Amino acid sequence: MNGLSMRGMEKSFGAVRVLDGVNFDVRPGEVHALLGMNGAGKSTLMNILAGAIPPDAGTITIDGTIYTFSSPREAKQAGIGLVVQEVDTALFPGLPIYENVAADEFVHVKQRPIRSLRQEKERAAALLRRVGLSLPPTKLVRDCSLHEKQLIVLAKVLSSNARYIILDEPTAALSEAETRRLFAIIDELKQQGVGFIYISHKLKEVQEIADRLTILRDGRVVYHGGARSLPLEDIVLHMTGTKRTAAAKQARTYGSDIAFAARGILIDKTGTTVDLYAHRGEIVGIAGLVGAGKTELAESLIAHRNTSGEWEIDGRRYVFSSPYEAIDAGLCLIPEERRKQGLFLPESVKTNLTVRLLSRLSRWQWISRAKEAAEADGLVRSLGVHPPSSTTVVRHLSGGNQQKVVIGKWLNTNARVFLFDEPTKGIDVHAKQEVFSIIRSLADQGKTVLYFSSEFHELLEVCDTVYIMVDGRLLARLPAAELTYEQLVYYCSGGEIHEPASRFRDAVEKNGAVHS
Amino acid sequence: MSQPAVSATPSKKTAPSILELLYKHGTLLAILAVIAYFGITQDRFFTYENFSDILRSISIVTLVAIGITFSLIVDGFDLSVGSTVSLATIASAAALVLYRQEIFVTLLVPLLLGIAVGLLNSLLIVKFKLPDLLATLATMYAINGVQLTYTKGFSIYNDMPLPDGGTAPGKFIPSFLFIGQGELFGVPFSVLLMLFVVIAAHLFLTYTKPGRLFYLTGENREAARLSGIPVNRYRTYAYVISGFFAALGGIVLASRIGTGQVSAGASLLMDSVAAAYIGFSVFGAGKPNVIGTLFGSILMGVLLNGLTMMNVPYYAQDIIKGAILVGALALSHWQKK
Repeated sequence: MNGLSMRGMEKSFGAVRVLDGVNFDVRPGEVHALLGMNGAGKSTLMNILAGAIPPDAGTITIDGTIYTFSSPREAKQAGIGLVVQEVDTALFPGLPIYENVAADEFVHVKQRPIRSLRQEKERAAALLRRVGLSLPPTKLVRDCSLHEKQLIVLAKVLSSNARYIILDEPTAALSEAETRRLFAIIDELKQQGVGFIYISHKLKEVQEIADRLTILRDGRVVYHGGARSLPLEDIVLHMTGTKRTAAAKQARTYGSDIAFAARGILIDKTGTTVDLYAHRGEIVGIAGLVGAGKTELAESLIAHRNTSGEWEIDGRRYVFSSPYEAIDAGLCLIPEERRKQGLFLPESVKTNLTVRLLSRLSRWQWISRAKEAAEADGLVRSLGVHPPSSTTVVRHLSGGNQQKVVIGKWLNTNARVFLFDEPTKGIDVHAKQEVFSIIRSLADQGKTVLYFSSEFHELLEVCDTVYIMVDGRLLARLPAAELTYEQLVYYCSGGEIHEPASRFRDAVEKNGAVHS
Repeated sequence: MSQPAVSATPSKKTAPSILELLYKHGTLLAILAVIAYFGITQDRFFTYENFSDILRSISIVTLVAIGITFSLIVDGFDLSVGSTVSLATIASAAALVLYRQEIFVTLLVPLLLGIAVGLLNSLLIVKFKLPDLLATLATMYAINGVQLTYTKGFSIYNDMPLPDGGTAPGKFIPSFLFIGQGELFGVPFSVLLMLFVVIAAHLFLTYTKPGRLFYLTGENREAARLSGIPVNRYRTYAYVISGFFAALGGIVLASRIGTGQVSAGASLLMDSVAAAYIGFSVFGAGKPNVIGTLFGSILMGVLLNGLTMMNVPYYAQDIIKGAILVGALALSHWQKK
């Protein structure tokens, strides 16, 4: 029997059942897309296939042979190839291409201590032709573009005779033209009988390249079938399920004057520029998938990254070249990596909270310990930091309480525009609600909030307005009240924004009716 | 060694482990143990002259080590301090002996040179983003070369013969010699200077806004930058302060020995680095701090003095210095975990 098939795959981590009897198969010469929201079980399934983790139950059959992989190496020998999303982690930047392509053999083949460089280069050149790369095999990998590196990884995978190749978000960092070229190469390899498992959040591209689709949700297969027959809206509905309804939102009111605007802000990673604005007291969401460039935008707005452009805060124009200047003008960033970017871990809650207030708390540069303690205690109380002590070392706080400290350091400052980058990452449900209420009260005080997130439910819960961010560009500015979760997923996955998306509304209303 | 009184508080629930106690007070215990050992075995150890001698040498190491402490606080490192000490020693001697300058210029020139070295280091590290160890290694060699080139490898001393046949016009003046050799109220002036600098630096780093920002810059540079702290400015200050204190140490050294010896500061690098790292653990601070640095240099000073008395040659002392630095590094690493 030809083809790869996984039957009845099950996997639990602790009490959480991540895969619950999943069947999945790939034929030679096809592209089979595996879709699902974060946490649906895609990564777990692919990690099992690549030999990285053992399944609790289920069988893997490849071309008629049943396998149980106990290491990635065994999976590789059975013909499974993996092209990871972060291709840099799979390559040696200081080595030439041909050595990278042959690297696996150095590691695994012990019998051949002497290599023929000429043969190796010829072999690499042949593999590079197969993936459509016309580069000299002696070029160093670090001098190659991202797209070229990806194809080198693909060539490396082919060099170990992979017949089934997993592509994990292969187009996440590619331009339109590069994506086209990659698709042409995939087609070419399909003709040669290679089977692909294609994982992506960019649903438009999935429809174009995939022959068949399997959609996972909560560890189960919820759709399996041809890719082209299923409309994009239906894919989104399968991925998200129709269980959730838009939470009834209290309408907030905010000012009509523009408190913050940024024009032509360059995002260095994607080379794109962004314009955005926000009213006084408005909570503006920036919705985008992981890798859409949200963090890069947030860090560019605070001038932490190399950027260019023009800022406007309360009618005054600025050009910032460092966070020092941006913060001085009234911006602040609550960064995504709070332990790495937001906290002084060995220091106390007090020291962390007062870092921006030292001028006010000191005279002739001498910090008044009493004033500092009083200020910090006040903030600890109003933020509800637990344990309620300003002398705790921040390292020992839970994620949610650490986040309160990161936010708290800006509360009594002159900050007028708050940038929150994934503020709910890694904190529990209760702390999330507390963070939301801090954000709302900031906005109610007339501060402007920009909320960068890939958690679409939370965006809809907190924000008044949502920008759609795809590939480093802001595509639309939409009122949150008129958006549904499914629409947001659809738009951020590359769906056309001005298409009538009434089907989602119908689904939600139907669902709402069932619940009420 | 005496039995530690751990059993005195057995009921306390969160009694610190012996290991922690050792970490917190290990340096003090080590200093006491070393003093006790040398006091018993060496007759001349417990004499006023000897203690005065120890304190004078400690004062120079401490001044240099405080500079290193500043560079460590901003998560940097300054290897060039030893060469800066040599440069300052030569510069002050040259000002006195070769150019007949009075005290003001004699102090100003080396201090300005120290600041210049600090600015050069920060240019390389902060502006050009070179790794601190390598950048200051390079300046260490270059500065050492500068002072050797200037003196052509010869020390500068009173009445030294000049190439043109005459003798040097100036000499080490009493007001300059007072810095390293004089006493106030029976205490060596250099020790008073050291105590003043230690207290001032400690108060500055512990109680003032810029002191706080130095520490925050070093603890998490990215968080500091995103908190609006001008981190590059503070890193620059730290290297300038480091150069300044190394130059001050060089002045005291020149005054103490009364000549401008070439490469006189070379051995001070290791001593002061060790002192600063030993200081990490004093009272369990877990970070670079000036009081700890003082205790570190006391330990180094007492140890080296005693070893010299025991006729351990200076090259063999280097083995012990190296071992102590490894120990201090291991201790500070263990604390971080």
